[in-house]
Amino acid sequence: MKKILNTPEGYVNDMLAGIYAAHADMVRPVGDNLRCYQTAHKTPGKVAIITGGGSGHLPLFLGYVGKGILDGCAVGGVFQSPSAEEIYEITKAVDNGAGVLYLFGNYSGDILNFEMAGELADMDGIKTCILVGNDDVASAAKGSESVRRGVAGIFFMYKCAGAKADEMASLEDVKALAEKVGSRVRTMGFALSPCIIPEVGHPNFTVGEDQISIGMGIHGEPGIRVAPMLTAQEIAKEALDAILLDMPFGPSEQAAVLINGLGSTPLDELYILYNEVAKILKQRGIDVFKVWVGEFATSMEMAGASVSVLRLDDEIKALLSKPAHTPFYSNPQLED
Amino acid sequence: MTQLDKHDLNRILRHISAIMVENRELLCKLDAEMGDGDLGLTMSKAFPAAEKEAVESDETDLGKLMARCGMKMNSAAPSTMGTLMSSGFVYAGKALAGKTVVDLEDFAKFYRLFADGIANRGKAARGERTVLDALYPAADAAEQALSEGADIAGIASAALAAAEYGLEATKDMLPRYGKAAPFIASAKGKIDQGAFVGKLFAQGIASALTDPRKD
Repeated sequence: MKKILNTPEGYVNDMLAGIYAAHADMVRPVGDNLRCYQTAHKTPGKVAIITGGGSGHLPLFLGYVGKGILDGCAVGGVFQSPSAEEIYEITKAVDNGAGVLYLFGNYSGDILNFEMAGELADMDGIKTCILVGNDDVASAAKGSESVRRGVAGIFFMYKCAGAKADEMASLEDVKALAEKVGSRVRTMGFALSPCIIPEVGHPNFTVGEDQISIGMGIHGEPGIRVAPMLTAQEIAKEALDAILLDMPFGPSEQAAVLINGLGSTPLDELYILYNEVAKILKQRGIDVFKVWVGEFATSMEMAGASVSVLRLDDEIKALLSKPAHTPFYSNPQLED
Repeated sequence: MTQLDKHDLNRILRHISAIMVENRELLCKLDAEMGDGDLGLTMSKAFPAAEKEAVESDETDLGKLMARCGMKMNSAAPSTMGTLMSSGFVYAGKALAGKTVVDLEDFAKFYRLFADGIANRGKAARGERTVLDALYPAADAAEQALSEGADIAGIASAALAAAEYGLEATKDMLPRYGKAAPFIASAKGKIDQGAFVGKLFAQGIASALTDPRKD
């Protein structure tokens, strides 16, 4: 293992200390627990949104905490859930009196801890509700959406829910909107190499030399199949075939697209992939409203990419177009 | 012995912790065959955190103390299994709040409360190849032993024997939950690693309460 760190045990807290040092104007810890991460920007009366999950996925999850998007994030160890107490501490810190939406990926440890935190918050009279992202089309068959994993597509839920909360919508409305976005986003991932958890020191799963793992999750969960390496054109076709079969577009419906790098895949390759995605969408008569290309949900130094497609409606388009600003992500005001 | 105080609770947690630590490698090995292989690490972090809280806290309400131990466990090991075990303590602690000693009936009831806390949090039931398949038989046996006039050591021994029996029975059950679910084909004939944790839990309690050495 060759990583820039001091000790494997200090990996997460040292990373967090660096983020606070660099961006003290935008984010801060709750009290002295670095793993309780909150925005420096509070809006009285606004629904607060908290996410959380394991470390090792930057900019997921904490990278979406800032202005116009999320309010707090509970940070777990690498690929581990944060604790209920940490989530609860953040809940108390970011609640603006309008309730708190817990929005995170569909993983059992995270669900248990967010549920427990919600019960603690309830005893303080803070209203919370839970919504999970489950966009990974490769992780379970159609009809079993509720057990699908949450991956990069949760970005769209964050962005739209954050913009909706900024309009001072109620907790119920913010949740309903995020749920709608979640039901209209699908992601398919492709892994080319494994990653190393610092405290483990070696990869705990493998992707063969000259092979591609189609549908692998962002913790190395097995995907649909392992194949000999594909071309960018074949990857794009594989992704869109799966996504559009699972979520067909109606006539004249537009898409937003997210091409996400998993950690060590160059931007060059992500744009090569997008070029092929764009061609296929054009052939299928789907107009692309807006594209994001870059790293949004990584898996340490894993190589590979994921393709997410969001099926738009007018409300989602308007919310996607609203400005947002965090240390890791900026969205200028778009004309919609 | 017909009631337990804070000192006894500390001893119980110390015994459970020691047993989890002793079985760390075995738990990891069992888990690696059916899941991601970190169960021994999380259990050997979780229970010592509860023990540390119990020793350091001056809380005399045993219910509250138990719930706090549960929260500390969760903070030390927020994995699925760590959180489920901590939920057992939090739930039982809430039910026993206000008590500075635990009497015979409360003690017999504790096993079921602990299992119910896990079942509620994990939305699982008996017979689904989980920790509950060791804990619910233990709860039945504890209540049975109480009705037959057993003392605390007798209840703990009966619960352990039933947990061991329940653990064996998981060999014929199919996994439905968690990371073991994809391993259905290879589950047959193997004990469930979660139920093994449940058995160790009952074993820790029994060893603390039947050990004649008073510490």
